[in-house]
This record gives sequence, structure tokens and C-alpha cells, in this order.
Amino acid sequence: MNFKTQRENFRSKSISAKEAVQETIKKVKTDKLNIFINCFEREALSKAEYIDNNFAKFKDQPLSGVPIAHKDIFCTKDLITTCGSKMLKDFKPPYDSTVVDNCNNSGSIMIAKTNMDEFAMGSSNETSFFGPVSNPWGENLVPGGSSGGSAACIAADITSISTGTDTGGSIRQPAALCGITGMKPTYGLVSRWGMIAFCSSMDQAGPFSKDAFGCAALLDAMASHDLKDSTCSKRKNICYEKSLNDNLDNLKIGVIKNIEGFGIHENILNSYETSKTVLQGLGHELKEIDFSELSSGICSYYVIAPAECSSNLSRFDGVKFGHRSTKQKDISDLYMQTRSEGFGDEVKKRILIGTHVLSAGFYDAYYLKAQKVRRIIKNKFEEIFKDVDLIFMPTTLDQAFEKNRESSDPNRMYKEDLLTIPANLAGLPAISFPNGLKNNLPTGGQLVGNYFSEDLLLNITNKIQEVTDWHKMTP
Amino acid sequence: MAQNDTLVKGWQPVIGLEVHVQLLTNTKLFSPARNKFGEDANTLVDLIDMGLPGVLPVLNEEAMRQGIKFGLATSAKIAKTMIFDRKNYFYPDLPKGYQITQLHFPIVKDGIVDVDGKKIRIHQAHLEEDAGKSMHDQYDSKSVIDLNRSGVPLLEIVSEPDIRSASEAVNYLKKIHQIITYLDISDGNMSQGSMRCDANVSIMRPDSKEFGTRAEIKNINSFKFVEKAINFEVKRQIKCLEDGETVEQETRLYDSIKDETRSMRTKEFANDYRYFPCPDLVPINISSELIKDISNNMDELPEEKEQRFKKVYRLDDYEAKVLCVEKQTANFFEEVTKNCDPKLSAKWIIGEINALLNKNDISLGDSKITPENFSSLMAKINDGTISGKIAKEVLEEIWNTGSNAEKIIKSKGLEQISDETELESIAQSVLDNNPGQVEAYKAGKDKLFGFFVGQVMKETQGKANPKSINEILKRLLSG
Amino acid sequence: MDKIELKNLLFLARIGIEDKEHPKIIEKLTNTFDLIDEMNELDLDEVQPLNNPLELNNVSREDSDNDRNAKKNFLENSPESDEDYFIVPKIIE
Repeated sequence: MNFKTQRENFRSKSISAKEAVQETIKKVKTDKLNIFINCFEREALSKAEYIDNNFAKFKDQPLSGVPIAHKDIFCTKDLITTCGSKMLKDFKPPYDSTVVDNCNNSGSIMIAKTNMDEFAMGSSNETSFFGPVSNPWGENLVPGGSSGGSAACIAADITSISTGTDTGGSIRQPAALCGITGMKPTYGLVSRWGMIAFCSSMDQAGPFSKDAFGCAALLDAMASHDLKDSTCSKRKNICYEKSLNDNLDNLKIGVIKNIEGFGIHENILNSYETSKTVLQGLGHELKEIDFSELSSGICSYYVIAPAECSSNLSRFDGVKFGHRSTKQKDISDLYMQTRSEGFGDEVKKRILIGTHVLSAGFYDAYYLKAQKVRRIIKNKFEEIFKDVDLIFMPTTLDQAFEKNRESSDPNRMYKEDLLTIPANLAGLPAISFPNGLKNNLPTGGQLVGNYFSEDLLLNITNKIQEVTDWHKMTP
Repeated sequence: MAQNDTLVKGWQPVIGLEVHVQLLTNTKLFSPARNKFGEDANTLVDLIDMGLPGVLPVLNEEAMRQGIKFGLATSAKIAKTMIFDRKNYFYPDLPKGYQITQLHFPIVKDGIVDVDGKKIRIHQAHLEEDAGKSMHDQYDSKSVIDLNRSGVPLLEIVSEPDIRSASEAVNYLKKIHQIITYLDISDGNMSQGSMRCDANVSIMRPDSKEFGTRAEIKNINSFKFVEKAINFEVKRQIKCLEDGETVEQETRLYDSIKDETRSMRTKEFANDYRYFPCPDLVPINISSELIKDISNNMDELPEEKEQRFKKVYRLDDYEAKVLCVEKQTANFFEEVTKNCDPKLSAKWIIGEINALLNKNDISLGDSKITPENFSSLMAKINDGTISGKIAKEVLEEIWNTGSNAEKIIKSKGLEQISDETELESIAQSVLDNNPGQVEAYKAGKDKLFGFFVGQVMKETQGKANPKSINEILKRLLSG
Repeated sequence: MDKIELKNLLFLARIGIEDKEHPKIIEKLTNTFDLIDEMNELDLDEVQPLNNPLELNNVSREDSDNDRNAKKNFLENSPESDEDYFIVPKIIE
């Protein structure tokens, strides 16, 4: 079921919002993949009724009458928002995040909050306090992370749109592993107000859908210039959905030299080659570019992200909200116990790394250096975009892998983000779309664009999806 | 580095002050909650001040303007680019587990404050958010937290260690107080906590080239205690070193009841604040246009006002200085001189009014004295309706009731007697009733003149015009 | 990284981990630092650090108030509170 059809059903009055919501709730309740943390049936039905009763007001909105699932990282007023953590398992925010507010005003109906890696830290949705999510393509397989739940939700045909967040690849990588389309916008395009912070200088909210069309409409709804977020930039006046139809010929698309040298699985490389041909068939020119600095992105990311998160998570102290330990002899104990009980192992690990790299004596050697590597990567992108309009590369190193995967390389999981991290460091927009089926599992291709070129990325993806069927694959 | 007149038992005290000033903005530094004192607990707390998951700070531009004003008033360098950093530590009244402050790129750097002719350098002044309040008396085994103060804008003013004595420290503090109140950026109220002071104190030998180890003294909440705390600490450090011990680099609390400083419990592990630039905020470039705009719209500073008062109102150095100590007094003076003689007004404000304010320990603005009722008094003195002595009585009444001089004089019948005929007859009757003293005076006891004046005043309940009486008595006694 | 450094980190981060788990944690952290240390292969001397990917400047707001205080909600949803305050174990200065 795709978004365009669902929305058309509402607009043509063939299916009411209420009926769509009831259908969706059934699927949520029978989900065996552990995709959802909380379902809000009563509120959803109430909103659906409201939308049906105000048809005229909502029929022209980008998301009119369509059910949506939000990653449980977005604050929803008076409705539990857990961020995948024990620390917030009963937390009810007194306010809505801008993303949720925008989607509500655009006619969508929130059905449920999706499962995710705890505090957005992870690449397989296995660190959630609420248990791992299974990939609809294979129950023993991971859907990717940290937005594993939101990606699986689309792949399992439960909703046609969902929201995610991408700090090091957490939208694009699950999109690739689940065979759907997912996009990380330019840093600052979507407001971070109400989005629980992991790494403030890289976190960005973005859309999931089966195809570019759904992503475009959802991005139209999500993006806005928000004065409550100092890092939010003024948005171009673009309707992404409309610009899908623009005719863009003869683009120069960069492909990275020696990409095989990065340890990418051959299935993914094969799909990659095929999609290159498709791009050429659409009339675009492929140009080889050099990006040897690509791999240093991981080092920089795993300094900066833990550093910022160690600070962002200090507010979880058991004093004013969230979990508080019952073992509290004194204040110091309160903190220690609350935080050891409330956080999972991966979160604790990253907090410790972050604390260390910001420490006196280590700041220059780690944090400052990592920010310099970040500059190098941004500069490199700028240089590349002088010669090409887009960069095309695979999204991940691997297809969906087994849960509890053992690896001789203790850093294997971190290295999964190799191809997605550079766009986060530089703040550039990037999209992942399904580009093949190998061994009965999806592969993903990634387009990276210059700042605020979301329209370009969505347009090209849409054109690819007009001449191929990969986005229509289901498990 | 040594100042001989400030040595204590042969040691040179070296003092630096860190003054935290709460700014007079409408809202907090990064949240739109009201910036107000004294409201019910936890009613001035925004989502942002709670540090809730997902909230983000946005800079209050008025706080920035007020910081720039301070920089201009102290001839400091205003940052071309200022950056906010996070200072990370855990405390129950610090909701986010970090304070947003400025470390490397503060709004103001390298200022100067003139303290009685000596220039004390300001290392930097930076913007930062205040923390909430924790209180410990409500429950036996628990403490409580009020977040009203969390997020209030502070300007932290850090001096260089240029101060050499406790009294110099107090004068520096008074000068800072004067500047911030003149600029209207703070009400500088130490007892309410809108101005707080920590002192860094060390001692060294006068001929030494290196400073000694310094201790930081906290919990000083009045000008008087600043002096006492520093004096105690200097003596403590002298005794320490002379006993062969070393001074610890530590934080000490001042106890005003016992008049001593005490070491705070030292922690097993040092606190490492792990400063880094706050990723939720962006650098602010301060343009020269903005600085010029603020400079052009700034109120006069104390020195400028003093100069102007001397020139325009022909006041002397002392008069101008005293009138300008507090902006509200200077403004009051200017208001009354619209209708009154400046010299007369100055004399009365500096003398009688200030005495009343000090005695009753309130400020001019909180008293019942207004430019109107004060002017009315000056007018009555000027036109001879009452004498200076009677005027003091009238002033007391104005102080108590806020009424104007005219009404008071009428209701109490205090008009000065200036009628020559009436005065002459009273004077004559005094002389007639005291023949002995008249003889003595004429024989050469000049001092008795005062006695006759006093008797006339007694007869007239002080209402005789002194000038007239002097002339009349002289005339009558010479004849 | 050794035991003493870890203890200091745990204190700074206010996270309690049992002593017997320390060796495992140290190993995990060391692995990550090995990954990070690959940064040192680059020549970074003349490079300026990058904090904000879009290098935005000058975002601020007017000094006008907006009342979003929700005292009742804040206190009711907190782990421990009375009518007016958040409550914590006694803080000793």
C-alpha cells in the first residue's frame, strides 16, 4: 500500500480517515516484529473523527487523512515518549515536538510510537529497553537502527509514512536494510524542538516511505523554520511534492573511486552497478571522484557524537522527571543508581567515551581533532560539489544481518555507518532508496546532495522509481 | 606589585573579585519565562528552564545589549564574535546537568574600573545562566528545589588580581555597583542576590615576583562582609605560612556569624567541567553598528554626569561626586533644579536628605520625598518664608507624611517672622529683660551676642529671621 | 585506560558500575579508542575546527515573555515533590 494511494483514498472520500485508522490499528495490534512501543488508539480515533468532520480543511494538506507512526524520540504532548529507554519509560512530555505538531496540522493521524535504539544509539535496533525489532524480511534479521521500528513499519505495510531521525545514518541505513526509501534532510531544515537530543550538531529528523513521493509529501509537512531552534535555518520556499515532476536533465553524478576497497558486500556492489546504469539511462553523466578521506569520518563521529551525548544526557538525573532509583541514600547515590539503572550498556559506554574525550588533557587530542577532521570532510564535499551535482554511492556495507551478530572486529557495528556518517558530519542532505534484491534481501543506494538540494534528491529518486520496480518489493 | 600602605604584618594581600550580576531583562537568558524576583516557587519556570528532553535555548538579545553596555562603560573590548560554552557538572539545582556560559569568547574583555584614582583591570565579563535554588530547612532528611532562578541572565565580571586590600575591594565593588545601576542593567541588590561576590585571596612577600596560592571565598552577601571575609582570610593565610604550613588552593565559605572562612568538603575526585562549545547555539557576531547604536543610546555614566553637573550647575568636585554616587539621587537633583537653586538643593540633598536616608536605611526612591515636595521646601527657604532651622523641622514632616512645605508651614504656623517692627520690639524686650548680660556684653563679652540671639529665637519659637535679628540686635546693642 | 581513570570517568558521568564489571568496560572502551585513534594519521595542524555544520550566526530573540509554565504538571510528573517543590535527598554542603 503506498502513500499516494492512501491519500487519494481519503481525498476522493472512498476511505474515511476513521476507516484508515481502524485498519492500521488492527495491524499495529497484531504486529509480531516488536515495531511499536505504545499505540494511542483512543487519541487516533478521536483525531480521525475530527479530520473526517473537517474534510474541507484537511483535504488539500500534504498528509490529509493518512495514518502515521512517529519514532519514539519525538515528544508527544501528554502521551508517553520513551526514546527506547527505561529512563523515560513512563515519561509524558507537557508539549509536542515541532515535527509532530507540523504533521498533525498537515492532516496525518498518529497511531503509535515506534521502537528505536536507546537514545538513538545503535545501528540494529537491538539496544532498545523494549526489546529488539525484527526485520519484516526475516524475523531473525535486524531492521537497522536507530530508526529500526519506523523503517520496519513501512516495510511491513502497517503505515505508508513514518518519521525517523538520522545522526550517523539512522534513517538511511534502516531504509536500506528494509528495502524502503528514507531521507536525511540538510541539517537545520527540520526543527529539533521536541526531538530528544543525542548529538545536537548532527541530529536531523526525516521521512520514511515506500517511495520518493511519500517522502516528499512528508518532508513538505515536517520542514519549517522554527524560531524555537537556534540551529534551524530559513527554508527555501519549495514544495517538494510539486518539484518531483521537474525535468532535470544531464546532471553530473559523482561516483567514488575504489569504492570496493571499503569492505562493501558484493551483493550491494552489484546492485550499485545496476543502478549506475539506470542513472545513465536517465540521461545523467557519471563522473569518478576521489574521496579517500571517507573512512576518517568514523573516527571523528565516534568522538563528537559521544561527546555531545554525554552532555545531553546529563539532564537524566532522577530529580525532575523520568526514572528515579529507589535506592537513594544521598544525592550522590541518587544520581549513580538512577543513571546505572536507567541507561542500557551501549548508552553508558558512549557517555563514558564522551566524558573522556572532553576531559581536561584529552580535549585537544580528541574533541578538537575530531572537529578538524569534520572540517576536512566538509571541505572535501564542497570541492566535489564544484564538479558534480550529486554523489551516488551504496548506503551500507552489509544487507540485513542476524541479530546478536558476532564479529571478530569489535568495532564492526560502528563501521556499518562508514558510508552514511560523512553526510552527517558535513550537514548535507542524503537519501537512501531500494535498488535491488539479492539473496532475497534488499540492497540500498544513496544519493548525497549539496546543502538544501532535497528537491533534487527526491526528484532523481522519483525518476529512478518511475523506471524501476525495486521500491515495490515486499517481503 | 606591592603597595606599601596595604601590607599586613609585612605581607602583601592580593585580591581578585568575581562579581555575578543578575541582569534586568524582562525574560531569562535562553527562555521566555519572566525574569522576576520573589514569586511563588516554581511559577517562573519554562519548559526550557526545566531542561526537559527535547528543549532548546534561544539567546535573549536584550541580555546581550546589557552586556555590551557594561563593556562600553568600562572601556573594554567588545567581542567581534562571542560563543557560548557548556560547563558540565551535576547539582540538583542545575536541571540540564550543565550551565551555558562563556569561556574562551566572552562578550567583553579587558576593561578598566577607576577606583579613587587607581585603575583596577577587568579580565573579562561574560554572560551565563543562573542556577535554581536548593533549600534544606523544609524537611529533616530531604532538600527541596525551586527552579524560578534557573536560567536568569547573569553577567559575571572577573577582575584581574589588582586589588591590594579589603577596603580597596569594597570600593571596587561599590564602583561596579554604581556602574551597573547607572546603566540600568541591574539593581545590584546584594541582600536579594542580584549582585553576588566571590573573592580570590592570596598573600605574597612584597619583593616576590610570584603570586601566592589563592583561596576562593564564597557566600559573601554584603559590602560589610566582603571586607570582613577578606580581612579574616588574609590573617588566616599569614598565620598558615608563618606556622610553616602551605595555603591550599581550595574553596572556602564565609560564615558571617562566626566571622570566619571554612573549607568546603573536598571531593575525592576533582571536578572537571569538560567545557565545549554549546551545539544548540550559534556564534554571535557583534557589529560595530550595533555597538555604536547602543553607545549612542546609553545613559550618562557617573564621571560624565559629574563633569556636567560641575559645569552646568557650578557645583564643586565634592558636591558633584556625592550627588552622583547614585543615579536616582542625581536624577532627583536635576529634577528639582528645574525650579530651585542648584547650590541650595545640593546642600540640602547632600546634608539633610542623605542623613535621613542613612539613618532610616532606605533609598530615596522608597522614601516619601519627591521632587515636588522637596522643591516646595527649597522655594520656602529661598523666599525667606522660613529659616534654615525651621526648614529642618519641615523636612522631617515631609519625610514622615510626604506632604508639601506650604501645607506644613501653614498648618504648624511656622512662617518666619521678618517684620522689622515686630522683631525690633521682641529684641528690645529681650534686652530689657536681661540687663546684666547687656552690661557684660557692652563691657566686652562678645560671646553673649549668641545668648541674645538665642533668647529671641526662644521667644519666637525659632521663627525669627536670623539675618534681620542679627542686624537689629547689633544696632540695638551698639546704641 | 586503567582502573583509576575509569573510576574517575564513572564519577564524572555519575554512572555506577560494579567493580567486577570494570575490566570488561575497560576493554570495550579501549576497542573504541583504537578506532578513534586512526584520526592521528591525518595532518590537522593548519585546519580550523568545525562546530556547526552550516556555520550559522546571529540567532537571537526579542526580550518578550511567553508563559509556558506548567507548575502543576511539572511537579505531578516528577519522581518526588510536594505542592511547591521538587524533593531530593538532603544535600550536605
